[in-house]
Amino acid sequence: MNRYARRLFQSVFTLFVVITITFVLYRMMPNGPIEAMQQQLVSEALAKGENPDMSYINHMVAIRTGIDPNTPMHVAYYEYMRDIILYQDFGQSIAFNAPVFEVLFYAMPWTVLVSVYGILIGFTTNIILGAVMAYYEGSIFDTGSTIVAIVLNSIPYYVGAIVFLAFLAFQWGLFPTGGRMYPDSTAGFNWYYIQGVIHHAALPILSSVLIGFGGTALSMRGNCIRVMGSNYLRVARLRGLSDGRIAVRYVGRNAILPLYTQFMIGLAGIFSGSIIMEQIFTYPGVGWYTYDALVNRDYPLLMGILIFFSVITVVGVLIADLTYGLIDPRANTGEKEGY
Amino acid sequence: MNETSIHSTRSSTSSETIFEVEDITVEFGMDRGTSRVVDNVSMEIERNEIIGIVGESGSGKSMFASTLLDAVEEPGQVTGTVTYYPEDGEPVDVLDLDEKALRTFRWEEVAMVDQGAMDSFNPTMDIETHFKETLIAHGSDVDGGMEHARELLTELYLDPDRVLGAYPHELSGGMQQRTLIALSLVLKPDVIVMDEPTGALDLLMQRSITGLIAQLHERYGITILFITHDLPLIADLADRIAVMYAFEFVELGPAYDVLKHAAHPYTRALLKAVPNTMTPLEEMAPIEGDSPDPVSVPQGCSYHPRCPLATSKCRETDPGFHDVDTARTAACFHWERSAAAVSYTLSGPNEH
Repeated sequence: MNRYARRLFQSVFTLFVVITITFVLYRMMPNGPIEAMQQQLVSEALAKGENPDMSYINHMVAIRTGIDPNTPMHVAYYEYMRDIILYQDFGQSIAFNAPVFEVLFYAMPWTVLVSVYGILIGFTTNIILGAVMAYYEGSIFDTGSTIVAIVLNSIPYYVGAIVFLAFLAFQWGLFPTGGRMYPDSTAGFNWYYIQGVIHHAALPILSSVLIGFGGTALSMRGNCIRVMGSNYLRVARLRGLSDGRIAVRYVGRNAILPLYTQFMIGLAGIFSGSIIMEQIFTYPGVGWYTYDALVNRDYPLLMGILIFFSVITVVGVLIADLTYGLIDPRANTGEKEGY
Repeated sequence: MNETSIHSTRSSTSSETIFEVEDITVEFGMDRGTSRVVDNVSMEIERNEIIGIVGESGSGKSMFASTLLDAVEEPGQVTGTVTYYPEDGEPVDVLDLDEKALRTFRWEEVAMVDQGAMDSFNPTMDIETHFKETLIAHGSDVDGGMEHARELLTELYLDPDRVLGAYPHELSGGMQQRTLIALSLVLKPDVIVMDEPTGALDLLMQRSITGLIAQLHERYGITILFITHDLPLIADLADRIAVMYAFEFVELGPAYDVLKHAAHPYTRALLKAVPNTMTPLEEMAPIEGDSPDPVSVPQGCSYHPRCPLATSKCRETDPGFHDVDTARTAACFHWERSAAAVSYTLSGPNEH
């Protein structure tokens, strides 16, 4: 079988397994969504002095959770998968009384905006910083930056986020304390709206940049120093190549290689980080809805979000895997599996 | 002594100096003192000769070779003068060249084939780009240069299409080595410094590479400086051999004479230590003791602690060079007695 087809099949299979396990875990969980609601309704009925009517309670549970307690699990599983695959129907969100897909689809661009810019800015500054540190290896700048990088890397991003919020937003009022745009702006292609979006996204992005800041710079620094000590660099210098070409085509290319996979997998990490981040900044993206769904016991929505995160992770790894051969010819030898 | 005369005609078709090295010293500052890895060395290299530099690991061979291209890495300090005499034009003071001139000088005049051919190519770039970027960096005609590159590869028994389209990891060690030799010749340099070019290869490949080097030498009339720790390997290849011990030369002369009647006790001990099929095992012996530390080289003759001929004179004064005959010198007070003190037998093509 073609390597790409096989790798694609693996990814689909992984997703299928993830969805299945998530589904089963939810249903089997002691005190899971159904039992919890049944008990709640029973105790409510008892409190009112009524005799609990189990068929009425099960009906209520089915409406509230989207799960019919009378349907056996394998049938429910079949129906859930059938709806996803055939109709892209992830069920109905209880809290928002809207299809899960719609809720996610509405929230996703905001999370993507913050996460992608966060990781792009973070990665770029880290790579450049690491390269410069390697170039001035052993200097005061190098030592200083190493210390700063380690310190920043040790501070959890949510602590950074709260500090930013406290000073930059509440204390000095430079940034809004929450929301996604100016309340009086109209969505569309106008400057006031775009300005509002940037203004609101700035702090979350800054905090995303802080996730893993320093760590990548230190890896990049190490990789650069390793490449700069390699024999092929010495030969390249002897061959009289220009410093620019050596920096980009020799040092840069070979030093970034190992960070590429890390970058793609890191994408998924940023999305999961958005759960806490968006809560802190009251930024209604996917992460914000995740927390909401947890608190409201909105299980169909939670299932949908889990699938969403899994898809992003699997696709990220898949892209990294399939494109790695393009940037590193050694990983691209014939039909061999490249991990 | 028929061979000697044949040999000398081959060695000096024109005894014109191409490199003149004077009082070269390479030092590295270290925590425990200054490490002097080349110690006040002088030598003349003649145009079109193949000169072999022989010595054990860490004797300063590679550092000496690097000075010819002013390629000693930081923080190494080089003092002395290296003068290069181009075929036509003014002599060049190599250590005095500015960065731009040095960039042109390297690879166009003097190229280098490094120790680790397996690690001499950018792993993320195909071989063709290596050739092209070299031509572009030196402002050469790329089409004509690639034509020459294909010729060179063919002469080195490589298939140009296959090699140029390949990435370094797709080539075997021997192929990479030969490709690197082709790359070093692409700008038609006058001198090639080969630093253990066969170090990572098996015996058969070593032989075939030295054979190819001899062919290229014949064809393009290049001056070759061949560095190795393996004396017998260059026995047939080199016109002259320089033996290095403890960061300086101890013996220099025509290859045949140096091998057959080595004058310096170290050269003799080295020949005795090299295994070959003809030598009875009981006659083979390692050289006793350790090679000196570059931070504290013994006073007087640096070889005296290991030398069976050492006298109090050797311990106190540096011997300097003594002429063995017109073409050969040895840095030893007692070279006349060395043959009796250290005996060895040779095998192979030099045995008659």
